Amino acid sequence: MMRTGWKVLALVGLGALTASCKGFNASSLTRGENILGKLSAASAEAKTCKKLRAAPSVQEEYALGGALAINYVRRGGGLLLDGPNDALHRYVNVVGKNLAAQSARPTLEWTFGVLQDTSQFNAMSAPGGYVFVTRKLLQGLENEGQLAGVLAHEIAHVTLKHAIHQYGDAKVKTCELVTYGEAVLSPTAVKVLSAGRDGDGTLDLDQEPGLLGHLSEKTIDLIDKGNAKEQELEADRIAVELMLSAGYTPDDYLALLAKTKDGGSTFANHPGKDERRRNILAHVQALKQPAGAFSGLATEGLRSPPLSPAFAAVRGGNNARGVAKDGK
Amino acid sequence: MGMKTRVAWTTALLALAIPAGASAVKVGEPLYVKAKNTRVQASPSGSDNAVAVLQPGERVTWGGADAKHKQWHRVTTATGKKGFVFQTNLSTTPPNMELVTQGNGTQQVDPKKFVASGAAVKALSPGAEQYGKDKGGDHGKAVQDIKALETLAKSVSTADIAAHVTAVGLFPVVGASDTVAKAGTNKRSGNR
Repeated sequence: MMRTGWKVLALVGLGALTASCKGFNASSLTRGENILGKLSAASAEAKTCKKLRAAPSVQEEYALGGALAINYVRRGGGLLLDGPNDALHRYVNVVGKNLAAQSARPTLEWTFGVLQDTSQFNAMSAPGGYVFVTRKLLQGLENEGQLAGVLAHEIAHVTLKHAIHQYGDAKVKTCELVTYGEAVLSPTAVKVLSAGRDGDGTLDLDQEPGLLGHLSEKTIDLIDKGNAKEQELEADRIAVELMLSAGYTPDDYLALLAKTKDGGSTFANHPGKDERRRNILAHVQALKQPAGAFSGLATEGLRSPPLSPAFAAVRGGNNARGVAKDGK
Repeated sequence: MGMKTRVAWTTALLALAIPAGASAVKVGEPLYVKAKNTRVQASPSGSDNAVAVLQPGERVTWGGADAKHKQWHRVTTATGKKGFVFQTNLSTTPPNMELVTQGNGTQQVDPKKFVASGAAVKALSPGAEQYGKDKGGDHGKAVQDIKALETLAKSVSTADIAAHVTAVGLFPVVGASDTVAKAGTNKRSGNR
């Protein structure tokens, strides 16, 4: 019953012709009780949209992550990829996959890419294990520890599923707008969304690329507004844990923080540097265990390796693909 | 190599030791391995033979740190094999992953979240690829870029990671291979 009402209202969004044939009866609009009745039903139905906040399936996460990755690569002016054995990308993936293998989600298909963007000091991640850094950011790094710090921070956002929260918001909002007839989706998209809402809350996005595109673009709109402050602090804590696990000195993470601005670029919504530093130091303290108990906290033999010679590519001349054209 | 060991930061922190004490694991209690191809070494060294190779989430019984080489910890595997695992490759909690290997070698799948086991090794999803192609222009170009990147990323094996870690002196966590051959002598590649 609810599903039927939702379809009717969704079809209103598709166009007047369809709507008038599918039950949006003009004569009924003159009767106040019917309007109120429809609104009441829609309101009740909209509440069920919250079910879509359920954790997505892995396939759904890969689909969302892929769509977000497409947008990140597009906005970053493409990848700084020079052939199938590009040394820079091999190096960045070795460093990144080593960290990711020690994360809470070691079996994701982790993929690390360098964007052409030479204007923004930026890094970003997408569900499913996609991590991107701009060429501009890499140009400012002094050693592998700092590179590991950037990648570890983004890995943390993925393992903590921060973008998934924003995707959940986008799903619920879209569902509610469709319910009230304020969003335009294709009938097949409505069908997939309806199946998710009436099922376990997950969506088969591979079945409906149009819905995937809509939801991923809405999710990016939310991501562009920035993560919550606590999410950034949480990502910092996990990033330092990953660095300690792999054997990098956290000094390099602090040095990386010093390079960020307290305003501007994606880091604009990050907490201030001083707060981030205090947060990290406090977390390392919290990782300690009493004598006799197991501690995974490494304190000796931490390293700050130099960058690979392959890194010269980020400082070289213009790539054949030209300069970045950030879409923000 | 030009790299250096920095101890000032961590030394200063550790001098302020105020143990948290939460979720403390004692000798004889379980720990979980983090990384792929975790080598359980015959001796507290990264270069010795492995007595077993474990996968993420496999449970071991903690036997404490080696007296001399404190970053190598004694463990007993679920099948009773005894050896040493590097400290940072052990965790008090199992990974929150979609597909974990049980102690008996079987894989545990969350049926609701992990629709198909093949998802664990999935590349750019069909829906995402179609979305990019339908948008066309720079989106379509991005699809091609990502597919090329994914092919490259997949070719970076655990052997590549282990070789780099050894070269720059990082911790021996990810194992080169899923077999127990001596470290550095295994010719297999592509074991991710």
